[in-house]
Amino acid sequence: MTEQNRFSGYSTLAKRDTPSWNAQTRAVVDKRLNDPPPRCFFTEDEWALLVAICARIIPQPTQRDRNVPIASFIDQKMAENNSDGFQHAGLPGMQQEWRRGLSAIDTEARLRFGAAFVDLPAGRQDEVLHMVQQADVRAPAWADLPAQQFFKGRLLIDIVTMYYAHPQAWDEIGFGGPASPRGYVRMGFDRYDPWEAVEHA
Amino acid sequence: MGLPTSHLTTPSPQLPPAREAEASRRTAARRLNESSALLALSVLTDTSIEHDRGMFFNRAMVLPIIASALTLGTSLHGAHDPTPSAHRLRHAVAAAAAATGLIGGGFHAYNVTKREGGLSWHNLFYGAPLGAPFALILAGTMAVAAEHVRDARDGRISLFGQPAGPTLAALTAAGLAGTIAEAALLHFRGAFQDRFMYLPVTIPPIAAGLIAKAALERTPRWPRLTRLWLRLTAALGFAGAGFHVYGVSRNMGGWRNWSQNLLAGPPIPAPHSFTALALAGLAVLELLGTSRHD
Repeated sequence: MTEQNRFSGYSTLAKRDTPSWNAQTRAVVDKRLNDPPPRCFFTEDEWALLVAICARIIPQPTQRDRNVPIASFIDQKMAENNSDGFQHAGLPGMQQEWRRGLSAIDTEARLRFGAAFVDLPAGRQDEVLHMVQQADVRAPAWADLPAQQFFKGRLLIDIVTMYYAHPQAWDEIGFGGPASPRGYVRMGFDRYDPWEAVEHA
Repeated sequence: MGLPTSHLTTPSPQLPPAREAEASRRTAARRLNESSALLALSVLTDTSIEHDRGMFFNRAMVLPIIASALTLGTSLHGAHDPTPSAHRLRHAVAAAAAATGLIGGGFHAYNVTKREGGLSWHNLFYGAPLGAPFALILAGTMAVAAEHVRDARDGRISLFGQPAGPTLAALTAAGLAGTIAEAALLHFRGAFQDRFMYLPVTIPPIAAGLIAKAALERTPRWPRLTRLWLRLTAALGFAGAGFHVYGVSRNMGGWRNWSQNLLAGPPIPAPHSFTALALAGLAVLELLGTSRHD
């Protein structure tokens, strides 16, 4: 995947020593950047599966020194049970959703292609994920976990959120970074502060 | 001009020296220029900051900056000019500034009313401030008045065909009322969270009332109280700027985060409008005093 540079010349992390950030912001960002949380929640097998899924949902640029450890942050969220504050009525709660969902995806891969998800080639992995997304599933494990809802409301949300919450991914979307202490003043449509990123068409 | 000017021309029985009246008029003109200069400075700084916030989205947003800068220059020139007669360029700049303010008022009204919800509290709070262009109108008008006062060689000082003293008194009272309304609106928006935020809605209204009273009386009956209260209002402007500096520092990041907090915090140039209008009020008292002697 080629890294699209819509915000060339912009670096969120370059704001580190400007009035935009204070000591607390620097500490939080440094920790997230350099100190990924250790695996606590998922089993080793679940972990390998989660890492493989993350790599298919958000393939990361190869030219980077290191990838955003998406799975680490999802693990941390589950371990701390740091929920979104709401829950879909048809779903069993975030920790259970991930446990059952991972197991169901692996079963689905074995049923359809005769191998564990992690052992499938990338194209097949995409097919499995596509089936889950379309609720075109046969594994019995999906009986108490609506596949489509799990895919859209848990899998996608957590993976994408954790990726873009990571400082390494901010420049891609021209994210201003933490607004502490400097936030935004010009907030109307088509208005931007001088310390914001400008998108190049 | 066929309008009642008798109070300006009736000789006083004591007949004080004409030079005293002349000096008094010159003081008045100087004060009016000072008032105009201070208003122009307030407009210049406030507009530079606020129109930069608005990214000069409309190119006309640069006009009040030019107009106020020119008025500041000409009014400072006038305040230090011992020549007793009027100055045509100064007069023209002042009139142009007042016109710019008037047009700006139209733009601001359009900005507020074109927003979703029209003339709502929210849009009055967060749209282009309706009161702000009046400061430029007043800066121009005070400077125009200064030239008229200088030009009154025969002792008749008139403004827009009206006797200058009472007219300027009414104008000053109206200017104060507008500034008070602006402070009231924005301090209400700020929930009067600091007790001192009540000061600009308590002290200047009394000054406005005293000046309005003087305008009606023609010869002010409480000159000392009025003068005292105007000085208090002038001091309040300086104190207010100090409070606003403190207000900016209280925003997150304080003065180190000035590029945001100058805009997010209370406007530092705004309170000086009270000082400027109080100076105009003092000039008016001088004029009303002059009228007794002429």
